[in-house]
Amino acid sequence: METIVKKRIRQVKKGDQSAFTEIVDLYKDKIYQLCYRMVGNAHEAEDIAQEAFIRAYVNIHTYDVDKKFSSWLYRIATNLSIDRIRKKKPDYYLDAEVSGTDGLTMYSQVAVDIALPEDEVETMELQETIQKAILKLPDKYRSVIVLKYIDELSLIEISEILNIPVGTVKTRIHRGREALRKQLRHL
Amino acid sequence: MSCPLDILQLMHKHLDHETSSEEDEHLKAHLQTCESCSKHLYEIEKSIALVKSTSHIEAPKDFTAAVMSKLPKERQTVRWSR
Repeated sequence: METIVKKRIRQVKKGDQSAFTEIVDLYKDKIYQLCYRMVGNAHEAEDIAQEAFIRAYVNIHTYDVDKKFSSWLYRIATNLSIDRIRKKKPDYYLDAEVSGTDGLTMYSQVAVDIALPEDEVETMELQETIQKAILKLPDKYRSVIVLKYIDELSLIEISEILNIPVGTVKTRIHRGREALRKQLRHL
Repeated sequence: MSCPLDILQLMHKHLDHETSSEEDEHLKAHLQTCESCSKHLYEIEKSIALVKSTSHIEAPKDFTAAVMSKLPKERQTVRWSR
């Protein structure tokens, strides 16, 4: 797929706008989904996803064809989503640690009902609960969790997309997982 | 009761599929004797499974057309002039 993508990108770089149609078609679902999981609102997700493609097009001359196009595009979409989240939330929230992960104590839990509601996995209600849990994550944990578990990207790809070391990606994923556990373990 | 902190680190390393076989054995041995760590790992795994279970969503139908109509016009001119 990357070969076709690169061919189309070269055409776009030469000024053939119509070649960009195929690029949008190929990546629209992935990019839209990423934005939706990041901001939790269909209208905003569409807005951000469109903006991501427009920016990719306008800045296509800065894209290095030797690198993976999808990572570059994901990076634009992730950054736009994070910008949007930050505009909506008060600053103090941004650097706050995930509540409850400090100490990461595993002795504090009392017995809980941990039956997995297999029959309900498809229900809207459960879907909403999970989406809410994702949205409660601070943006730096949210982006790695979404990229890893919804877009199913590797740690290396995530590191390239976010432009942070793999070690940092791992730490954020670990903390993100602990935070998700706090919210979802009772389900 | 107190479990070594490295067990938690090991759990996450295990979840990232980066544990050596010795480390996995060590973790497994601990989990067999420690209900609280065992439950902790189960809860993380369940949370991950739930996040992965979210249905895949698609972009709105007219998405591509909407993007294409919003691209800067001068590029279109370049194309037509070729």
